[in-house]
Amino acid sequence: MNLARLKPGETGRITAIGAIGPLKRRLMDMGVLVGEEVRVVKVAPLGDPIEVKVKSYSLSLRKKEAEGIAVEVAG
Amino acid sequence: MSTQTKIKEAMGAEAGKAVLRPVGKRTVTIAVAGNPNSGKSTLINAIAGTRLQVGNWAGVTVEKKEASFEFQGRRIRLVDLPGTYSLSPYTQEEIIARDYLVRERPDLIVNVVDATNLERNLYLTVQLLELGIPVVMALNIYDEAEAKGYRIDVSGMEKMLGITVVPTSATRKRGLDELLTGVLATADDPACRVPAVLNYGADVETAAACVSAALEKEHPELAGAYPLRWLAFKVMEGDSQVAQAIGIGQEAVPGEALHHLRRAHGEDIEAHMADARYALASGLTREVLVKPELRKMELTEKIDRVVLNRFLGIPIFLAAMWIMFKLTFDLSKPYGDWIGDMISGPFKHWAEALIGFLHAPDWTVSLVTDGIIAGVGNVLVFVPVIFAMMFFITFLEGSGYMARAAFVMDRAMHAIGLHGKSFIPMLLGFGCNVPAIYATRTLENQRDKALTALLIPLMSCGARLPVYVVFIGAFFPTHAGTVLWSLYVMGIALAIVMGVIFKRTLFRGEAPMFIMELPPYRMPSFRSLCIHTWEKGKHFLVKAGTYILAVSVLVWFLLNLPWGVQSKKDSYLGKVGQATAPILEPLGFGKWEASSSLIAGLIAKEIVVGTMGEIYVHKEEKKEAAPPFVDDLKEVATSFGKATKASFANVFATAGITSISTAEEPDKAAERAPLKEVLKTQFTPIAAYAFIVFVLLYMPCVIASVAMVQEFGTWKWYGIAFAYQMALAWGMAALVYQGGRLLGLGG
Repeated sequence: MNLARLKPGETGRITAIGAIGPLKRRLMDMGVLVGEEVRVVKVAPLGDPIEVKVKSYSLSLRKKEAEGIAVEVAG
Repeated sequence: MSTQTKIKEAMGAEAGKAVLRPVGKRTVTIAVAGNPNSGKSTLINAIAGTRLQVGNWAGVTVEKKEASFEFQGRRIRLVDLPGTYSLSPYTQEEIIARDYLVRERPDLIVNVVDATNLERNLYLTVQLLELGIPVVMALNIYDEAEAKGYRIDVSGMEKMLGITVVPTSATRKRGLDELLTGVLATADDPACRVPAVLNYGADVETAAACVSAALEKEHPELAGAYPLRWLAFKVMEGDSQVAQAIGIGQEAVPGEALHHLRRAHGEDIEAHMADARYALASGLTREVLVKPELRKMELTEKIDRVVLNRFLGIPIFLAAMWIMFKLTFDLSKPYGDWIGDMISGPFKHWAEALIGFLHAPDWTVSLVTDGIIAGVGNVLVFVPVIFAMMFFITFLEGSGYMARAAFVMDRAMHAIGLHGKSFIPMLLGFGCNVPAIYATRTLENQRDKALTALLIPLMSCGARLPVYVVFIGAFFPTHAGTVLWSLYVMGIALAIVMGVIFKRTLFRGEAPMFIMELPPYRMPSFRSLCIHTWEKGKHFLVKAGTYILAVSVLVWFLLNLPWGVQSKKDSYLGKVGQATAPILEPLGFGKWEASSSLIAGLIAKEIVVGTMGEIYVHKEEKKEAAPPFVDDLKEVATSFGKATKASFANVFATAGITSISTAEEPDKAAERAPLKEVLKTQFTPIAAYAFIVFVLLYMPCVIASVAMVQEFGTWKWYGIAFAYQMALAWGMAALVYQGGRLLGLGG
């Protein structure tokens, strides 16, 4: 399961980050870390990007970037 | 081990080792660092106000703000670092902030922290503390945090971090004096406020100690230049920037130092370090922050439910854009016209009268009035639109809607290799390319910024409209709407094509990302908006003004020399026109009149029409007697009143965009009637269409060019824009003309 496939309202716990280099570092700097909980809040009107809640703030990222973030669905 | 004991241990064991000398100087240099959206700009505006100087960091397009002022008998020099989430070496902003802190070693860092978003903000704080520079924290947006029911243990935070923490609210101007007092106290006696050396865990600390010992032994010269612990961290992380700067990479580190770390935490030490830093930030947050049990639905969420709604999102976005466009251009245009009229009217008369007194030769009068004063006019007419644009863009950014606009539009813009935020600069391009190019500074990434600026000139600006109107009026009066529409569509279609081409060629291999915070909505303070607008507008005036003036004078020389030529054909401009005309032959308008007008149109594309008028319709030089001084003075005042009225009428009375409507004013239409008649004898309809296509596409006008060079600090992007647009204009016009003739259309 990856973050891009979660539906709005669903929450997941990050199990791995597949990205490398600058993208990975940027994600980590923004608080997207293994073990962190993320909730998908919205999908943009045109279907991409998505908005997620992480570390109690709102972050947007493209689905392609979210695909590299493995999650396990939590409740 | 609980977080609390971990942090306490960290403080106890290592604190006090750092040796900080009191500043003791009269001038204290402060670097202000913080996350984007932490209210850093507002805080700086509130402290420094109009004493702020806006510029760019050397060689890059990132904005640099500085201020210098007196406080309690001391001189404080504020340097605003770019807003960053981290000090990693991956974004331009982060590299700038880091280089400044490490190389320039300011006396003190003021870390602006968003109290409503502690954890992520503290992640940067943890990194700032690594640098061994005294830190004072401005716990900003504190009023909002209180309103949300957050309870923050400020003194607990001071104890754990070992630094002074001052709650502030920049919008309400609270805590500002306390912050500055805290800054001076820390600068004078850093020993009492030693930043805690936070413990990253036994594994990391052992490795770091080993690495820094090795560094100290093998490269003793580094110990003076860099904080060693920080350097050790960077070498462990495999930081390429640092490796390059000191000539030592991860491979030079004694193997055993990293071996243990790798075995325990995997190959990616950089990731482990980020984890460790976030663990500290989370731990601190848990210690000092108590959130209310009952979480209210926040205003931001309520607004976003509507604004980012699946069905309403796009209509609302388009409506917002329409309002912004209308306000920017319709509000400012009457004032721009007023300034233009005043320069070419009263102001010119006065200058003529003054020079007349001195019995100066005719050519000097012309140089001063038609060259220099007209050139100043060319700069000043942009003042209202630049200021209006800066104001609205700053408002969109400060309020938080800019990020939503990018969120809504990203899918569409990404298809042509752009970022969601590129939409607004592109849209502004339809009004005028100049503010549009300046608006690219809202984009963070250099690649996105450059690509957007390259495509903006394809958006048909308002200055091209008079050329279309004259030609369409002369050749296609029955299909005016369709022909005009085809030009706008052609510009957009070519922007899409060129976007895709650039993405695959110039910008190949660079993978831009869209990892963007959606900040909470906030009402930006009016004062802060005004200061920002003023500073940026001033920057444009001073920097671009000089170039534009120089080019205006150059064009005057081209048009009027050799002095006393009877026909424009014999002027330098006419000669250049004659020389270049054959190049335009395949496009159907290989005449010196056309090429000369096109060259003159580089100043501003609408000048093409004026120059054609002068060339084709040999106007009798009517020497109007200048009206008396008092009448001119009256005119200045009354016409300003008219401009204000027109400005309001434009914005409130009509639903359309008046500044780019095709309706000609009656007097202008009458004036241009003879030109239209001549044009009909000079151009075939298909050549006329090829001509306006050429006008749409050929190189950006001088002022847009100056904007591009100034904004990017290099001629590179302008060079590319110039080359591809010339090729595109020639190719498309040739395609239209030759294709049209093949199809037997009015050949």
